[in-house]
Amino acid sequence: MAASATILLIDDDQDFRASVRAALEARGYQVLEAESGDLGLKMLVEHRPQVVVLDIMMTSAAEGYGVTQAIRWQEAYRDYRNVPIIMVSSIEETPDERFSMAGEVDMIRPDQYLTKPLDIPRFLEVVKAVARPT
Amino acid sequence: MSGPGEQEVIVVIDDDAAMRLSCRKILAKLGHRVETFEDGTQGLEGVSRLRPGLVVVDLKMPGLSGLEVVARVRELDPLVVVVVITGYATIDTAVEAMKAGAYDFLPKPFSPEELRLIVNRSLERRRLSLEARRAEMDRELLRRRFVTFVSHQLQTPLAAVHQYLSVLQQFEETGAVEGKRREWIERCLRRAEEMQTLIRDWLTLARLESDRLARERAPVDLGQIIPNILATYEPLAAEERVTLEARLPETGCTVAGDPNCLNVLFDNLITNAIKYNRPEGRISVTAGCQGEEVEVAVADTGVGIPPQCRERLFDEFFRVRGEGAKKTPGTGLGLAICKRIVTELGGSITVESEPGAGSTFRVRLPAWRAAAAREDRTESTP
Repeated sequence: MAASATILLIDDDQDFRASVRAALEARGYQVLEAESGDLGLKMLVEHRPQVVVLDIMMTSAAEGYGVTQAIRWQEAYRDYRNVPIIMVSSIEETPDERFSMAGEVDMIRPDQYLTKPLDIPRFLEVVKAVARPT
Repeated sequence: MSGPGEQEVIVVIDDDAAMRLSCRKILAKLGHRVETFEDGTQGLEGVSRLRPGLVVVDLKMPGLSGLEVVARVRELDPLVVVVVITGYATIDTAVEAMKAGAYDFLPKPFSPEELRLIVNRSLERRRLSLEARRAEMDRELLRRRFVTFVSHQLQTPLAAVHQYLSVLQQFEETGAVEGKRREWIERCLRRAEEMQTLIRDWLTLARLESDRLARERAPVDLGQIIPNILATYEPLAAEERVTLEARLPETGCTVAGDPNCLNVLFDNLITNAIKYNRPEGRISVTAGCQGEEVEVAVADTGVGIPPQCRERLFDEFFRVRGEGAKKTPGTGLGLAICKRIVTELGGSITVESEPGAGSTFRVRLPAWRAAAAREDRTESTP
């Protein structure tokens, strides 16, 4: 059942993590938190979550894109390549706008892109749709 | 794309077959790809298909006139360089063509050398305009990135508050958020305050940009305003277990400036020194007159600033990353504000720092007498 899936939240904003965590736990998901992209990648390997929720602007303005690229293309994360990624940010610029060249955006296109603050009911629907039970 | 010696596409439009042939021969020797057309209509079709860097067009042709071709080519691509070939004594038409957007003209008859010279000059011109356009695009990109970044900084605290509230609303009745409410309200207030500080700092910066400072100069005695600021922060310093010391001379610390801005400047430097200090640390503020300048040093015994960060320290939104920054709230605008105030007042601000041992911010401002004397001189000069 999807509700038992583990969700990894990668975001440097503790308030964003706290509120999203509560919403996800209320729906029965297991939640892991990482406050940086590096830590997130480590936790991905250790805990094999079913969904990654990823912020774009953390230490650097495009850290989230770096994480997506690592998961999708780096050999070290081969086993997790297909994990659904929901990218979230308070910036309006979508990945397609940011990386206007088709090849570039294909490298880092997330499964879903949502803007902060999240519309919680819609966010939970998106998570439900992309979470695959183990 | 079209640096010196690189191949360019050149279109030659001329109804005279001999002229087309000789142009092709001469220019092909320079290493360019040359395409020729015998009238304006075909020429324009060629231009839109081949996207040349340079178009050489005869002004006097049957059918579509050379002038018309010049105007249409420029419409197709404003960066293409157009050179017109004119018959004897038709300077007036050449001037017309230049008005329509031609870069230069070449009167008939011309030698191969003359053609080569004008083509090289035109291609150089094209290279420069392409470079200028690229630089303009880079600037535009930077500007857009900055706007994105500012809006991100402004929206983040608001989004955090909004999201707490919407989760509370969504799950209020299920009891899933029971026990979290008090903490979340606390966090919402904290983030709202962060937002207010950010907006206040941003407005301060914007106000400083409006250049009013330069005109509103008054004598401001730093020997008075600094002790006042220090007194305000005694309680905060005590809370952080930091000692404040000041060694300011009785006189000679009067600078030319705006009292409000100077308050903001030293307020920022002193709060930073408290925020980024260590428990049982010390802050010392010293001042002295050196020639025509007053120098104030604000020294702390805090975490210090890594050398690689010092250059960007005064940039808007720059914050030193690390454990200290995470724990200490800040907008990243304080030092940008300081820098702008000091620059506007004709002074300077520098930093010396040893990671782990502390930082010293040194502000130099024109002394009141010196500034007043300079103004007198300026006014007496006709």
